[in-house]
Amino acid sequence: MSSSPTDVGGALVDVTMPQMGVSVAEGTIVAWRVAVGDTVTAEQTVCEISTDKIDTEVPAPASGIVAEILVDVEQTVEVGVVLARIDTGVGGSGAPAAPPAPDVAAGPTAAESSAGPSGSSASPPARSSAGPSDSSTPPPAPRAHNGAGRRYSPVVQRIAAEHGIDLESVPGTGRDGRVRKQDVLAVVNGNGSHAAPEAADPPLHIESPYRPDPVEPAAARPAGTGGAAAGAAIPAAVTSSGEGLSRMRRQIGEHMKRSLDTAATCTTWIEVDMSRVEAARKRLGVTALAFVARACVAALREHPALNAWLEGEKYTRVNEVNLGIAVSLGDDGLIVPVIHGAHELSEEGLAARIRDVAQRARSRQLTADEVRGGTFTITNPGQFGSIMATPIINQPQIGILDFEAVVKRPVVLTDAEGNDSIAIRPMTILGLSWDHRALDGALSAQFLAAVKRNLEGVGS
Amino acid sequence: MATMTYLQAISSALRDELRADERVLVMGEDIGVFGGAFKVTDGFIDEFGSDRVMDTPLAESAIIGCAVGAAVVGLRPVCEMQFADFISCGFDQLVNVAGKMHYRQGLAVPITVRLPSGGGFSGGPFHSQNPEALFMHSPGIKVVAPSTAQDAKGLLHAAIHDPNPVCFMEHKHLYRRVKGDVPDGVYETPFTARVARPGSDLVVICYGAMVDVALSATEDLDGASIEVLDLRSLVPLDEEAILDAVARCSKVVVVDEANLTCAAGAQVAALIAEKGFEDLDGPVVRVASPDVPIPFSPPLEAAVLPGVDRVKEACRELLAY
Repeated sequence: MSSSPTDVGGALVDVTMPQMGVSVAEGTIVAWRVAVGDTVTAEQTVCEISTDKIDTEVPAPASGIVAEILVDVEQTVEVGVVLARIDTGVGGSGAPAAPPAPDVAAGPTAAESSAGPSGSSASPPARSSAGPSDSSTPPPAPRAHNGAGRRYSPVVQRIAAEHGIDLESVPGTGRDGRVRKQDVLAVVNGNGSHAAPEAADPPLHIESPYRPDPVEPAAARPAGTGGAAAGAAIPAAVTSSGEGLSRMRRQIGEHMKRSLDTAATCTTWIEVDMSRVEAARKRLGVTALAFVARACVAALREHPALNAWLEGEKYTRVNEVNLGIAVSLGDDGLIVPVIHGAHELSEEGLAARIRDVAQRARSRQLTADEVRGGTFTITNPGQFGSIMATPIINQPQIGILDFEAVVKRPVVLTDAEGNDSIAIRPMTILGLSWDHRALDGALSAQFLAAVKRNLEGVGS
Repeated sequence: MATMTYLQAISSALRDELRADERVLVMGEDIGVFGGAFKVTDGFIDEFGSDRVMDTPLAESAIIGCAVGAAVVGLRPVCEMQFADFISCGFDQLVNVAGKMHYRQGLAVPITVRLPSGGGFSGGPFHSQNPEALFMHSPGIKVVAPSTAQDAKGLLHAAIHDPNPVCFMEHKHLYRRVKGDVPDGVYETPFTARVARPGSDLVVICYGAMVDVALSATEDLDGASIEVLDLRSLVPLDEEAILDAVARCSKVVVVDEANLTCAAGAQVAALIAEKGFEDLDGPVVRVASPDVPIPFSPPLEAAVLPGVDRVKEACRELLAY
């Protein structure tokens, strides 16, 4: 395509003695219908031939100008021999190249056929599209023909792709001008008539995806990542279009990393049947979170070892339960307002306080005191259906309870007589991340069991 | 190091094994007192006795069946089929019993079945066949086919040492025609392919008697650089060596002496089509015996078996492609 139109060598199409049947090996030219310099259109008869089986006509394989006639009348040649060459390029004179257009291009014919039946309203756009396509038709013609006329073996195609070689311009030395491996390798090595300088020096060939040496030296790395360790290079485009983290995100990140670096974090889960909670919260018109908070506060009173802070080697048990509730602020991050004196509140009281602090958190109206002094935290990201997590402890606290979705599941129930049955129950999985520096697994399990007992005993 | 014929090399390997390992025994029709149809075991009965050099009834099923039993209890029998063609009578014992024993019961069956195969001497349809592909198609059996005296000895040692049933395809036409230097003592030739002659324009892939044919056909073929790859082992097939040769040469002629359909070379061609596609610069060309019985008539046999001229022609055609 990009080869210059004046390079006639790249736009010549051979007319060859056709194979008329398996046993026909040669043919004789009876008459030429065209002369050098004539304009021909594809499929137009260029000559008549005679074989020992049949007499027939040879059609032009492409539109263009007859450039050469190589075999005289009465001469007998083998199948495959080139009889004539047709120049399909757009010559400097230009004039003869215009007639082939209707034959090869889909543009004009499509426009004409659509203009006819589609009526007057559709014809103006059809005509206007025919205009520009008329001037652009000659270039596609040679490609369309050459692409169909020459086929390449897998290894030739691969080598050409690796080196960015246009196979149409590679001279073939195989049977019927077939491009062999040697031919394309000759071009790669600069020995072929193609001898393109960019092909001889593959690493500098910008259009080719071929990269001969995967072990690129550091020089090729983007400047912005110069200090990074080898192999950690981020493409320059990604770094430049990225944004710095918001102040809140940085703080959350620092806080979470510090917690993981500080605490010996361990997570324990327990399954809870939420049937009674579901019934009670509908009756009271509060969220399940309020019941979990209430059950959690009661369990903390039962196991006060978890209602504490651990700062370095200083372990402080706190009398009051100041319950933190993680509130998402959407894309910005999250904040944990603290409900002070949560042990003094009922479900309804907790529900009201949770609603209050959540609203004020989202409207950025919390005071500094309202986010300080927490002794234990509950996080509740279950509204999207997730069922388990491993939350990170809010330092210097020593535990955080994760409450996810309530999901109906088949469960095995055992009645007073010891009979088992399967029932559908709303179930949830509570996860407790706890600091193994401050307590052990047995206590965390006892605490979770207490929360479970409180939730399953709601209203009884 | 001594110069030996292909047949002497096989004989030498058997003698060395019988001397080195008391578990090894040989059995077959007329291999004892008579010394074997081709005299491979000539004089063995005097040195090792009739317990280890056993003349058997004319019953291939019994020979292989007994060998399987002996192998399962710890011996290493080497069975001789007088002609490879006769293996059909022992097919069930080899394919169904020996080949599946390890899969079914976890028992090793270290038997070696020597199969004097191939034509070229007017042996007719019952004494000229190349049945190796039958066993390639049957899981649990290894198949090797040496082309030189050195590999005949080394592959036979390796076959006897191998814990699996191994079909050892020894080509009758090579018995006394091929000579070469053979190392002394016991040595193993690996079950891998061997570059018989390196080249870069085209590779002829073959084994057994066809290696000599390929070497002579391509010794001086219009100055082209032609590689000859001797497979040596058909199961396991050395895929790496085959694909390496294809990558270097890009044009492939596969030669089988066996009948064309489903011969070993068909497997090689299929492998190349699947895994060497991007290295090909022409169709994979096969040269083999047509799907007919091997004729007794010398001129007809010469016309059926792949010879130097046919291999030359195939190479020339492909080189010009």
